[in-house]
Amino acid sequence: MTESLPPPSVLGLQPRTPLAPGIVLAVLLHVVVFGAALVLPKFFDRAPPLRKPIIAKLVALGKPRDPHLLPRKESPPPAAAASPVAVPSSKPSSAPAPRKREPTRQELMQRALARAAGKTEPKTEEPDPERAGSATGSPQGTAATAEEGDAYFTAVHDAILENYVVPSVISERERLYLSASVLAWIGANGQILKHEFEKKSGNAFFDQALELAIQRTKLPPPPAEIAKSLRDTGVVLNFKP
Amino acid sequence: MIALTLAVLLAVDRPVIDLSGGKVQAYPLAMARPLGVQDAGVAVQSVLSADFERSGLFKLLDPASFLAKPTEGLTGIDYTKWQAVGAQGLVKMSCDATAEVKCDMRLYDVTHGVELLHGTYAAPRAGMRQIAHRFGDDVVKYFTREPGIFQTRIAYVRETEAGKQIVVADQDGANPQAVTGASINLLPAWSPDGHTLAFTSFRDGLGAHIFSVDAVTRQIKPLVLMGDFATGAVYAPDGLRFLFSASLDDNTDVYVSQADGSAGRRLTDARGIDISASWSPDGKRIAFVSERAGSPQIYTMAADGSDVRRLTFQGNYNQEPAWSPKGDLIAFSGRDEHRVFDLYTVATDSGKVTRLTQNQGTNEKPSWAPNGRYILFSSTRAGKRQLWETQPDGSNQRAVTSERLGASDPAWGPLPSSK
Repeated sequence: MTESLPPPSVLGLQPRTPLAPGIVLAVLLHVVVFGAALVLPKFFDRAPPLRKPIIAKLVALGKPRDPHLLPRKESPPPAAAASPVAVPSSKPSSAPAPRKREPTRQELMQRALARAAGKTEPKTEEPDPERAGSATGSPQGTAATAEEGDAYFTAVHDAILENYVVPSVISERERLYLSASVLAWIGANGQILKHEFEKKSGNAFFDQALELAIQRTKLPPPPAEIAKSLRDTGVVLNFKP
Repeated sequence: MIALTLAVLLAVDRPVIDLSGGKVQAYPLAMARPLGVQDAGVAVQSVLSADFERSGLFKLLDPASFLAKPTEGLTGIDYTKWQAVGAQGLVKMSCDATAEVKCDMRLYDVTHGVELLHGTYAAPRAGMRQIAHRFGDDVVKYFTREPGIFQTRIAYVRETEAGKQIVVADQDGANPQAVTGASINLLPAWSPDGHTLAFTSFRDGLGAHIFSVDAVTRQIKPLVLMGDFATGAVYAPDGLRFLFSASLDDNTDVYVSQADGSAGRRLTDARGIDISASWSPDGKRIAFVSERAGSPQIYTMAADGSDVRRLTFQGNYNQEPAWSPKGDLIAFSGRDEHRVFDLYTVATDSGKVTRLTQNQGTNEKPSWAPNGRYILFSSTRAGKRQLWETQPDGSNQRAVTSERLGASDPAWGPLPSSK
């Protein structure tokens, strides 16, 4: 008669599977994936390194302002010079005198609407004789100082900025720390294919304004060398008021 | 998994474009024709429209462009019709008027088609303007998360044939009420609770001295009768002390005193004039004008008179500093190379000076709104000196008073909650 063995206690020691090989394998796997992620992209088609866009302003013509004087408000560029008035000449001229341009239908309509609304036509603003700028600047300059600018991303920056409107109901104090990031994918024709928030600002009015700005923006087609990257990977737009 | 996530993050190399400096534009708001009793509704709406226009926050849309039916009620709104005219916000009201006026006032978000604010506001007929101011403040607070200033009051000096009197009015210049007679009364300054005004007066015939007047009872009390020249009182944010300037022994200095005028103590003792003190919003520092370096410039010092620092270095005549409620800017008036005074701000951290007015007469005496969104000042741009207001970047400049002989020395009162 053989005695049957009692069933093993659940509290008893179980034979243990060695863990070390598994841990080593996991670590190796992570190292391989991590290394591959760092190395492999170098062998594939990548966009060239991009320079940060810099906004260029046309330097105004003028004298640099004495730093000891109180500042002046930046003045708008002077209005375009009026076309020279033709002086009557006794000499016969072979070329016919240039005719004064007739106002377009749209201009006539705008004038009529302005008269109907009791508005006078806008006065031409006198150029500020004390406009600060550079001796080698342009009469149409927009700033007293300027920086260098370049690249497609400057065009993207400018196009979005054109439509970037911050609602004035957002307090100045809040504007100091508001920021949001939007990821946008740009097609070969410059169309923004899609966009999504990477980080919302926490202010619904500000986020709504950013959505509007992106929806309204028309971008130029990107250069061929970065078109694929912009379509597949996208670009990060960091907004601050 | 962590490594994989990191790897993926590192592998995606996206270009980054930083955008800042978006155009700050007013929020397009439609105000529907009031429902209910028309005269009351139209009167309230008119005050509310003026408040919103002055605020610079809202762009009120032309009612002639509205597509919604004028009879559209406070509910069942066809938001598409309001969206079609470019509105992002919509205000509607329905007023009832008996002995008092009672208005149901509502604010809607047109873009998302939801009601944002809803309240019933009542006031006696004579105080109907307050209904608009209270709702206006609620709307501003909803959007900006900061208190509105439509219920605040201002004080200023009114020119009369008999002299200069201190006047208290609503922030928009409405309801001006004289609180002093017309000897020569100058430089009003509100106590933080809005009950009292300190001012400089020649009323006792013994020189310039500082008095206080109760804004309600108009009872006048002497505060500082020191020497023959004591002027420019300004209460501390806690209301327990006030600063003033006084001339003793041929030297004008800044002093501090208890709120009742007792225990006056000199804070500056430099040679030359020290004058026009203004508290920082936390009461820890004081801005003032000093001639110690040869020309009047803006300085700051600790509340006990120590740690004096010069803040302005541009221009040769800077005066009347007013520290902003947010603490980041000090507004002042400065004389430029054409010997004309204009308004400027100087950043307290960087010292950067920004010009607010230019080629518009003489502009002086800045006084901040308690929420820091506006500056009240006096200007001669339209002939007689009157009060004007501007936003701190110099935009949205509008006339506030239209006194027959002129107005000057503005002082913007505190928020109503602290009254």
